[in-house]
Amino acid sequence: MKLSSKLILFITGSKLAVVLLFIISLPFLVDGIVSEYTNYSLRRQQDKVINIVHKNGINHYLQGDASYGSYTMLKEEYIALEPDSLNLHIDTIKVAQRLVEKDTLTYRILIHTFQYKQKNYLLEIGKTTSSINQYNKPLQRIALYVLMGLIALSLLFDLVFTRILIQPLGKIISSKLINRKFPFKDHSPPVQTSTYDFKYLDESLILLMDQINEAFEKEREFTANASHELMTPISILQNKMENLIDDEELSDAAIMRIVEMMKTLNRLKKISSALLLISRIENEQFAKSDAAKPIDLVNEVIEEIDHRLEEKKLSISAQLEPQVILAGINKDLLFQLFYNLINNAIKYNVENGSIHISNTFSAQNGYAIILSDTGIGISAEELPFIFDRFRKTNLSENVGHGLGLSIVKSIGLYHNIDIQVKSKPGTGTTFTLTFPAALYKKMD
Amino acid sequence: MKVLIVEDEKTLAYEMEDFLKKAFYICDLAHNIKDGLDKIEANSYDFILLDLGLPDGDGLTLLPKAKKHNPDAAYIILTARGNLEDRIAGLDLGADDYLPKPFSLLELQSRMQAIARRKFNVKEELLALGTFNLDLQKRLIFFQENQIELSRKEFDLLSYLFLHANRVLTRMQLSEHIWGTFADDDYDSNYIDAHIKNIRKKLNAWAPTDFLETVRGVGYRIKK
Repeated sequence: MKLSSKLILFITGSKLAVVLLFIISLPFLVDGIVSEYTNYSLRRQQDKVINIVHKNGINHYLQGDASYGSYTMLKEEYIALEPDSLNLHIDTIKVAQRLVEKDTLTYRILIHTFQYKQKNYLLEIGKTTSSINQYNKPLQRIALYVLMGLIALSLLFDLVFTRILIQPLGKIISSKLINRKFPFKDHSPPVQTSTYDFKYLDESLILLMDQINEAFEKEREFTANASHELMTPISILQNKMENLIDDEELSDAAIMRIVEMMKTLNRLKKISSALLLISRIENEQFAKSDAAKPIDLVNEVIEEIDHRLEEKKLSISAQLEPQVILAGINKDLLFQLFYNLINNAIKYNVENGSIHISNTFSAQNGYAIILSDTGIGISAEELPFIFDRFRKTNLSENVGHGLGLSIVKSIGLYHNIDIQVKSKPGTGTTFTLTFPAALYKKMD
Repeated sequence: MKVLIVEDEKTLAYEMEDFLKKAFYICDLAHNIKDGLDKIEANSYDFILLDLGLPDGDGLTLLPKAKKHNPDAAYIILTARGNLEDRIAGLDLGADDYLPKPFSLLELQSRMQAIARRKFNVKEELLALGTFNLDLQKRLIFFQENQIELSRKEFDLLSYLFLHANRVLTRMQLSEHIWGTFADDDYDSNYIDAHIKNIRKKLNAWAPTDFLETVRGVGYRIKK
């Protein structure tokens, strides 16, 4: 999941949780506040009543009656005063029902006993619970609306801000990481940001890529120099042996040994040449200005190699579109590419096996050439490494210097040809070469 | 024919000299540009074999000056640089051929002979190979008036052996000549044997081919 989606999800989720918590706790909260406030106002009324009683005297209210009672018109509130004959000593606030003029209503009632002139009196002040709670609902609703509005507003701010905040990260990813192909030759400018972490990440990436490039350059230079420097001593040895083998005084045994030495030297020569070729391709020392039909290239390769087909009685078929022409290529390199692939298809094939070369056109992928063989195949563990230098899948056979597919890979990369391999041990291997649109034309 | 070898690797130069002398060339050696120019100014050569990486400069710079004094010589560039640009520059400056190091001395000689045929207009009559006759220019082989059909590779093989007559050529040397850099790494393969067998079969239909010898464990030789 992307960081931005995660942040949006988290922010929205946390706000929703707050809203939910608020909605659940709001009734209790409001009830609590209202009942606290009611208790407080009942106590204040109690104080006022007792003050008035002390000021005006109790008889001002009782007027000879046994008790005094007063209530508002809608019976929302009442006050009752009576002598406390039972000497109760109560001081409490409770919810209870009272019968007021034939109506039984639920009140929140303050019951308080007090002394006046050595006599005990009982005071009751009541408020209907419905009048107490009448503002609860609207209050809750308004609180909820205000909260939701605020949350929505803060959510909007948060989202906009996170978007702006993490924007440089997206830029770093798109400019430094996505679709970057090794070697990283095109330098993209540093991403502008005031966030230190992103700046650091961006600079580190640029630095790392530079270091990789530098290491790669050094390796390339080394390969080129080393293989080049090897050529002269190899040259001397080869020519010495060529002269030596013609010496008539040599015994047959000595000559045989020289022949063996020449074979070994030739192996060394092939390895050096292959490495040199790879480094020359990587150094882009080959002009890409030729044009050739794939069918011609493949047929040339087959002609060059057909003596090897006979040995294993292999059949080869090349069904390629004769109208396709590859332009902007290096013909020698492409010849080498097809040669190495077909050579491998022969080398790793079985008796009476076959090699099939075909092509496809698709709107999506363009032009592709498919080479499949009925050879021994490559195991899934080996498959990712077949293009690596000096890797050999089957060491039990004499399979050459192990650079053939590395050369194929270099040539493919140099021409932007995408190379895919599929293989099944015991069944065969299929190479698919997909050519970029700029490289091929189809004539009518 | 007279050859000047401009090569700073002395051991290599001596080996080339050794080989070419056996093939009846007269050789001079130069190990740097200055020495090379002195010799070119003083003598007239048929072949100038030129290394590019010389201690006192790029061998290519010698080429135009040398051409002034020896315009008719054939120039062959020998280099371990193997750069395509070198090859193009060399051929642009009028070099006749280009051999990347390491090269086989057999290949060098065969290139020299090819240039000689082309450049010096050597009137080559048919060359005798046993009772057969070879036309190297037209790449044909005859028995009396009858032309014998050989494949391209078969003729390459036979003419290479012929050019290096009395010398044993290994299967590896032969396959390198025919397939060049694409020669198989599997030297014990019998492709060369198969071709030789075909050549013998085709020629034996007309006359014996005792001149084409098999040297056991090594390769083949044409005896003259």
